[in-house]
Amino acid sequence: MSNIAGKAYAMNLVTPLTELTADFNKVVFFGLKIPLFKDKLKGLLTLSMIHYARWSIVRPSEFPRVSAAQPVEELNYNYMFFFSNFNGSWAQYVDSFSAAIPDGLNSLWHDNIGWPKAVPQQPFHRYVNDNQLWTNHYYSAYPMAASNDVKAAKQVKEELREFIEDTLQDEPDQFSRKYHALLKRLQDSLSCMAETPIVSLAHQAVVEQCRVDEGIV
Amino acid sequence: MSNHSDRAYGLMVLCPLKSETGLDQSPEAFLRDFLNDLPQHELSPMAAVPNTYLCRFFVLNDLVYQGKPAALEHLKSKYLAFVAEIHAPEESDVDEYLRLMWKLAGGGGFVPKAWQYCLGFESVTNADQFVEYMRRCQIQTTLYFNGSTDEPLAEQLKALYLKQEFTRFAYEHQGLPPAALQDAFRAFAARVRPSAATPTWRPGASSLATAVIE
Repeated sequence: MSNIAGKAYAMNLVTPLTELTADFNKVVFFGLKIPLFKDKLKGLLTLSMIHYARWSIVRPSEFPRVSAAQPVEELNYNYMFFFSNFNGSWAQYVDSFSAAIPDGLNSLWHDNIGWPKAVPQQPFHRYVNDNQLWTNHYYSAYPMAASNDVKAAKQVKEELREFIEDTLQDEPDQFSRKYHALLKRLQDSLSCMAETPIVSLAHQAVVEQCRVDEGIV
Repeated sequence: MSNHSDRAYGLMVLCPLKSETGLDQSPEAFLRDFLNDLPQHELSPMAAVPNTYLCRFFVLNDLVYQGKPAALEHLKSKYLAFVAEIHAPEESDVDEYLRLMWKLAGGGGFVPKAWQYCLGFESVTNADQFVEYMRRCQIQTTLYFNGSTDEPLAEQLKALYLKQEFTRFAYEHQGLPPAALQDAFRAFAARVRPSAATPTWRPGASSLATAVIE
């Protein structure tokens, strides 16, 4: 069992909400995709440790049923599934969300049953902890890279390809000037990746031990 | 519904598990053991499936009770949850992704083993039937956020390789006279071939010692 694949952490949260709230929140979520309101998601962009995140609101009738032998789910609530792939420890991630976009969180989890608000942090931590489901197998195609590495690498690749085309015929002095201009443009994107540090592992080990001690796993 | 964020696609499926195996453990216990024991990183069965950025498997056993005054309720089935972030610009690319997953994951043997505890999966015997089964069990995404890029995985891995190599080059070639710098850079470009598919990083590479595919 592992929520961690190198520098990425997989979070799964499943939280209930009433049908009325689900309908309302779906409208809010839809609005966030319209260019006029897309700025509301900008707070998420400031949390640059996120690779990908998503929310799925599922009605009881939308739980897959593949045969007549499978019982129909009879649930009072709709359920919101939240999945995130991020870098850093659980505490860093949850605290960053709470500190950077508390209003955004309150909108995204608006009126979910038991939602305590994003601030103060202690009840918020407890809510996330109580509703988190653990991953049995997690895979990342680039466990040594953080999300910022992937974004920076794209810029490096594009700039390098352009630079090579642009300097094919250059004399050494002109090449050197352009090379140093390239380094200046890429200075925020150049860094070496490696197997460490994986900050989540120590925290994960502590949490796993606590769960074993409490008889949860 | 928004499974897409530009060319990135959020795939989520919930496949109901059988209620019993006839053996000494429940299907979810067998499945959990199987998933927990899978090798990680470049040895993960999913490393062989093209365009998998990240993916996870877990067993959805039941729902969490929120305490009074919330209603206490339970799922009637348990589910295998497969959640993947993939490169799939069109819906048809998702079908192709699933076909390749059937064919390539874990050398081709992974999917039948992982899904053997799922209800209705006994009639799935080929890639097209697997696509149909997974589509039947798919859950639509309400809101998808891409904080990374939406390029094909091969491009992402090539970019990471170039970033690593160019950072080293810049560090090791400081202060050179222009002609020497130009010669060194040309040799570097010939080695890393920025516009070619290789050399690049291996999917799931967890160690610099074995990351590069020449």
